[in-house]
Amino acid sequence: MWRRLRYWMESERRGESLREEMELHLAEKAEELEADGMPAERARAEARRRFGNAGLKQEESREVWVTRFLSEFVQDFRYGVRTLIANKGFSALAVLSLALGIGANTTIYSFMESILLRSLPVGDPGSLVVLNWQSPPPQNANKEWVHVMHGLQGRGWPIEKGMMMSGMFPYGAFEMFREENPVFSTVFGYFDGLNRNLVVRGHARSASTEFVTGGYFRGLGVTPAAGRFVDFEDDRPGAPPVAVLSFAVSQERFGEAANAIGESVLVDNVAFTVIGVTPPGFFGVDPAAVPDVYLPMRANVLLDGETAASRYPDGNFYWIEMMGRLRPGVTMAQAQAALAPRFHEWVAATATTEAERARLPALRLNPGAAGLGGLRRQYAKPLYVLLLMVGLILAIACANIANLMLGRAAARRREMAVRLSLGAGRFRVVRQLLTESVVLASMGGALGVLFAVWGVRALTLLFSRGREEFTLHAELNWYVLGATAGLSVLCGVFFGLVPALQSTRPDVMSALKNGRGGGSRHRAQNILVVAQIAMSFLILAAAGLFVQTLNNLHSVQLGYARDNILLFTVNARRAGHRDSELTTFYESLRKRLEAVPGVRSATHSQSSITNAGFTGQAIRGPMQIDGVTIEDARVLGTGPRFQTTMQIPVLAGREIDERDESGSRPVAVISERLARKYFARENPVGRRITLPEENRELEIVGVSANLRYGSPKNEESPMTVLVAVSQFPSDRVTYALRTTGDPLQYAGDVREIVREADASIPVTNVATQAAEIDRTINREITFAKLCTGFAILALLTACVGLYGTMSYSVTRQFSEIGIRMALGAPRGAVVWMVLRRVLLLAAAGLAISVPVALGAFKFVQSFLFGTRPNDPATLALAGAVLLSAAIVAGYVPARRASRIDPLVALRHE
Amino acid sequence: MGRKPKKNDSLPGSLDMLILRTLSLRDLHGYGIVQFIQQSSGNELLVEEGSLYPALQRLELNGWIEGEWGVTSNNRRARIYKITPAGRNQLAVETQKYARLTLAIAHVMGAE
Repeated sequence: MWRRLRYWMESERRGESLREEMELHLAEKAEELEADGMPAERARAEARRRFGNAGLKQEESREVWVTRFLSEFVQDFRYGVRTLIANKGFSALAVLSLALGIGANTTIYSFMESILLRSLPVGDPGSLVVLNWQSPPPQNANKEWVHVMHGLQGRGWPIEKGMMMSGMFPYGAFEMFREENPVFSTVFGYFDGLNRNLVVRGHARSASTEFVTGGYFRGLGVTPAAGRFVDFEDDRPGAPPVAVLSFAVSQERFGEAANAIGESVLVDNVAFTVIGVTPPGFFGVDPAAVPDVYLPMRANVLLDGETAASRYPDGNFYWIEMMGRLRPGVTMAQAQAALAPRFHEWVAATATTEAERARLPALRLNPGAAGLGGLRRQYAKPLYVLLLMVGLILAIACANIANLMLGRAAARRREMAVRLSLGAGRFRVVRQLLTESVVLASMGGALGVLFAVWGVRALTLLFSRGREEFTLHAELNWYVLGATAGLSVLCGVFFGLVPALQSTRPDVMSALKNGRGGGSRHRAQNILVVAQIAMSFLILAAAGLFVQTLNNLHSVQLGYARDNILLFTVNARRAGHRDSELTTFYESLRKRLEAVPGVRSATHSQSSITNAGFTGQAIRGPMQIDGVTIEDARVLGTGPRFQTTMQIPVLAGREIDERDESGSRPVAVISERLARKYFARENPVGRRITLPEENRELEIVGVSANLRYGSPKNEESPMTVLVAVSQFPSDRVTYALRTTGDPLQYAGDVREIVREADASIPVTNVATQAAEIDRTINREITFAKLCTGFAILALLTACVGLYGTMSYSVTRQFSEIGIRMALGAPRGAVVWMVLRRVLLLAAAGLAISVPVALGAFKFVQSFLFGTRPNDPATLALAGAVLLSAAIVAGYVPARRASRIDPLVALRHE
Repeated sequence: MGRKPKKNDSLPGSLDMLILRTLSLRDLHGYGIVQFIQQSSGNELLVEEGSLYPALQRLELNGWIEGEWGVTSNNRRARIYKITPAGRNQLAVETQKYARLTLAIAHVMGAE
């Protein structure tokens, strides 16, 4: 082997010496023939004839010391690179469009991989199973709640046929599964502890927590970076409070994982001893979350008191999630069959009425290798749509390159014919052409990876916009790189093969004679261009719909100010402030904030308007006006000057102000819609709202304009009631500052002021109102931006293809046009002749893709707002843009055609 | 992977054997080998001249012959090949094989 290698290294020198040897041979032969009386000239020719094809023989000899394939590959590669360099413009265009296509595909694929395919970083993820249940919806036709699940903390989601599914179970179900399980080697539970106030060495921050049962870490099969994990003895009532920190928190607060062990930290003012640190990269079981602190399940009693304790024995409160690990050899179907009857028996015992028994939850096991599916449910569909789009873009880019290759193959037809007639095998020439296109594709792929690195970063930014804890970390990994490499080679073969086969068709003679292409190449080019136009139209129209959706969302009348407002949230209760002191603390903080220079007004409320409804209502129980219950009204606790700050017009009476203290008479401001409905034309100011459950009365002091809660996607403006947050206190409040200039420049002042007031309170969710609103329509923004980018890309690529085809066709018709002009055709007619073809191609493309668009866009209906998938205006606009782009692309060659000098053209012939 | 040269000798691989046999008698350059085979076979065996060089390369790669630049009888620079000990062993093996083969063919042809 080594000898072969050495020979290969010396192949240059050896080739030289071999040639010399053969020369000598020929010379001697010729001499011999000459000696026999043949004339010198003929003798040399005869010697050559007898020797055979010297070049081929040389190749064959060379094949002896190198495998021929390798040597030819090196040759082809060199030749390929040389031709590519010789055609800089063509190569740059081809590589660039391909790189953009591959880059976009790799980016989207990276996201799909990280969201839909990647396994949890735990031991043997394949045997993990998530426990879920499904049941008919908990509400009956009269919207009454009829379900064994009387309360739910956590998520449920609708599945097909009106059924609902959830991963939350009562604690009793967990205990039932845990004892004597024939199919699971272990079952462990956990629930999201939400954000808590974490104080480490006197420094406060907001930290996400996860409560886990004693078997959690064992069940997942992870090893601690330092210390030990929560175990069964830690998860008992009365056990000493211990905590496990995430690797990131230990790094951030202690510098090194090992330093954290044995330290005491405060979680919502309760002291916990750190016993361990999770390994880097571990994020629990939900790819959408990264808990900072893991606490034993039973520790929730220390933090949340009686409420938490009362949940353990409650068989009708659903709050803990579970995973199991299949015993070796047990399939998920077997486990399902074994456990479903057990769960049915257990849950039937918790039903109290016949109606509840009629809609019992049924156990459903799901694969747990990739963790919980929340993120997958949320992003799977958008990602598939995006993948389809970038797939189309890559197809357009490939078609483009095939097209350019076809054009170039025509130019090189003579070259190919010469090669074939000199004895090159057809396979050999096709292989050489393929090598060229694969080299091109590989360069595109390499550049595409660079684009993808940048794209993944940009897209992460786009996805995470406005989210404080964004945990989706897509990265280019080996799978993705493998897919990219495969894609580029595939592209190379795909767009290289057709032109290669065509240009090596064995009708060598005709090619040698006139060197002009035949009709079928022309047809192939036309088909490619029509396909490109059809695909571009799909992307263009989709982008149009998404941009239209975003515009509609942005033009929704929210009823409150969007700009120049800074929001942030604090929770002083977690820092130990209680009851009336809490209310005073919040009010005094508001006054200090209002005193900051540049702040025009400051207010606070139970939550931001966009979050209102998610954090619960300020008032529980019904509200009545003159004995009539108000239906579907939303109640938000607000501080003084809320309407001034948010610029919600006061239509009658006054807004809530400093007079409305905790001791004084409770007041309310109702929205116009509510006033219309319950007071008709009467003036509501001065009237009463009664709260029968709390035995209190609210005096209506004002009427506000309607405002829209939550996301702009929510259809109607609800009826709203604003009450004073001092009279209906909230644990945490969101402050809103109306500022002059960029709101974010006040963030530093805000943190300073809160720290002065109480250093143990972290400031969270700092954002502008505009960003907060955009956060609720983040998917639509992302889609509109990405699709616009994709549409421009597709349009440009398709135009390049169109331009290339038309240029080629003008060159082909060079003499024809010359003759026409010589016979007196005006320039305009020549331009029209070219443009007519462009328009025909574009029209053919549109004719194909409009029906496709009408059919396919139904699937993106759920992404749209205020527009229909078959919106005629959007489709027409997309078509118009495409046609004008096509005309621009076609005009340049058309103009060139009209500038042809008939004399030159005729002489050329 | 490419086309193999069409050998005009009826017994595959016999060219290698002929070259080795020739070189076992004396060192020669490429043209000389062709001449020698042609003459000693009474002009019955015509070596396809082009095929000679790939064969020489193959033999050299296998270590059975060695080529060195030298001068021919009529004072031209040429690569002179000589057989190596390994080449002689190989020649013995091939000669035996050849003998067995021709014997077998002769049996067949002579059978009634």
